[in-house]
Amino acid sequence: MKAWKEFIKGIWDENPVFRMLMGMCPTLAVTNAAINGLAMGLATAFVLFCANIIVAMVKRFIPNEVRIPSYIIIIATFVTIADLFLAAYFPEIHKVLGLFIPLIVVNCLILGRAEGFASKNNVAYSALDALGMGIGFTFALTLLGIVREFMGMGSIFNVSVAGQNFTEWVIFVLPPGAFLTLGIMLWIINSFSKKKMEESHCH
Amino acid sequence: MIKELLLIFIGAMLVNNFVLSRFLGICPFLGVSKKVDVALGMGMATTFVMTISAIASWAIQFYILEPFGLSRFLQYVSFVLVIASLVQMIEMFIKKTSPNLHKSLGIFLPLITTNCAILGLALLAVNKGYNMIQSAVFGLGAGLGFTLAIVIMAGIREELEIADIPQGLRGAGITLLTAGILSIAFLGFSGLISM
Amino acid sequence: MAKGVKLILVLGLISLFSGVVLAKTYEITSPTMREVAMKNQQKAIFEVLPQIKEYKEFQNEAGMLIYEGLDSDKKVTGLAFIAEGGGFQGTIRMMVGLNLKTKKITGYKVLEHLETPGLGARITEDSFKKQFSAKSWDDPFAVGKDIVPITGATISSKAVSEILKGSVAKVLEVYGGEQQ
Repeated sequence: MKAWKEFIKGIWDENPVFRMLMGMCPTLAVTNAAINGLAMGLATAFVLFCANIIVAMVKRFIPNEVRIPSYIIIIATFVTIADLFLAAYFPEIHKVLGLFIPLIVVNCLILGRAEGFASKNNVAYSALDALGMGIGFTFALTLLGIVREFMGMGSIFNVSVAGQNFTEWVIFVLPPGAFLTLGIMLWIINSFSKKKMEESHCH
Repeated sequence: MIKELLLIFIGAMLVNNFVLSRFLGICPFLGVSKKVDVALGMGMATTFVMTISAIASWAIQFYILEPFGLSRFLQYVSFVLVIASLVQMIEMFIKKTSPNLHKSLGIFLPLITTNCAILGLALLAVNKGYNMIQSAVFGLGAGLGFTLAIVIMAGIREELEIADIPQGLRGAGITLLTAGILSIAFLGFSGLISM
Repeated sequence: MAKGVKLILVLGLISLFSGVVLAKTYEITSPTMREVAMKNQQKAIFEVLPQIKEYKEFQNEAGMLIYEGLDSDKKVTGLAFIAEGGGFQGTIRMMVGLNLKTKKITGYKVLEHLETPGLGARITEDSFKKQFSAKSWDDPFAVGKDIVPITGATISSKAVSEILKGSVAKVLEVYGGEQQ
């Protein structure tokens, strides 16, 4: 039962984007199209999953003083692996995500889970936690991407869905649109949920 | 030469403002922007670290990574380590030499390690192929742009404290909407100069 | 002291392990990456110079990357080169094709850009691109005169025109200069 709880919490109750406000930089930067949000979410989930497992495995051997640098090296290693594979096998996606792939290293969601969860729990729970959080993050980014792409370009996943008479609100695919869309989404979510948002910023 | 440096400076500070158009350093921008003086301290500390880490990563890239052909796969690991240890060293150095400065900047320094604007800056400067002076100016401009954004934001948020905001919009919601409007204002700078 | 040694040892071991893993990954992925880069370049060159059968790199002292397009008789009929310049938000890089016989631009293909999706990004669409194909390289390339800009993206349109105008002149100077 505990296993299920560790998995499911990341998807909604402790959703990294909507409830915890973690990993804001990629959330805002790459969500101007649904496919970009999805790709970024999956890349982050991959790194989160691998890093959480490795951290949970090696935590006993790492002295407390060098904990953070060690975690950062582990995370950066997986990010580079993801980067190289994307560049080789999915060059189109790699080009779009650009600078934000290396920045997964400093995505506080990953260091936050490694430090806050994997360093205190066993491998199985850490894997489930990462899986849930990863899916939650991907879900949030994809949703943002869908809304912004639809409002800004009248399409979803590059398929045109709005009619000919639809006037595109280009502002939604520009930088300001990221802030506005997420702000309005948080407003809607907060108005309907009883639980208060945690606001655990990453600093 | 001077003109080119000025272009890099203005470009990093206004046209491609790190926070409002590149989305780098959003976490401190949302988290540490409640009071103007605190925001100013954070901005100054970030500018300082940005300028120094831009120079340090330039040196790593051109004296270690590139000569040995390591830059494609060891770049991220080495940059992030260098920045983390640099921040640590700066903190120890300031603590020893100037306790006053440490009191005002010290609390922000540990937060800076996970500020993605620093790593983003290091990678951008290397990608653009800047030399040492250009990197330093780029770092300085980006840092001041970050300071500008976070201080304006804090000023607005101090006023918002006393405003009547719908329940669900309080906190992060209204902050993001404000940032969106600020970002529209900064959009006016695009096309000011061609990069 | 023993504590310090242990700290260094642990960090060193982790770094070493990470280095080995990354070097291995790089070894596996780099041939594919090179292939992708090669293919993209090839595709871009054949797209801007549709009449050619093969191409070869043109060596020059100015260090510019210029490709000579050869027709079926192995005669140089066109040039392709990479041009770049500042756009609205970042650098625009494109492959440009020239037809030496007709003295016209055959077209361009954007390789990299950071223009606004839906506005400036339309520089990659045919409706804008076709204005430049079959354009004589002596034309003014002025937005508002012989180029109709994309609505809402004058800066991007101007950037493309200026990059083309400037780079064509430069390439002809380098290429023409060494032919004589």
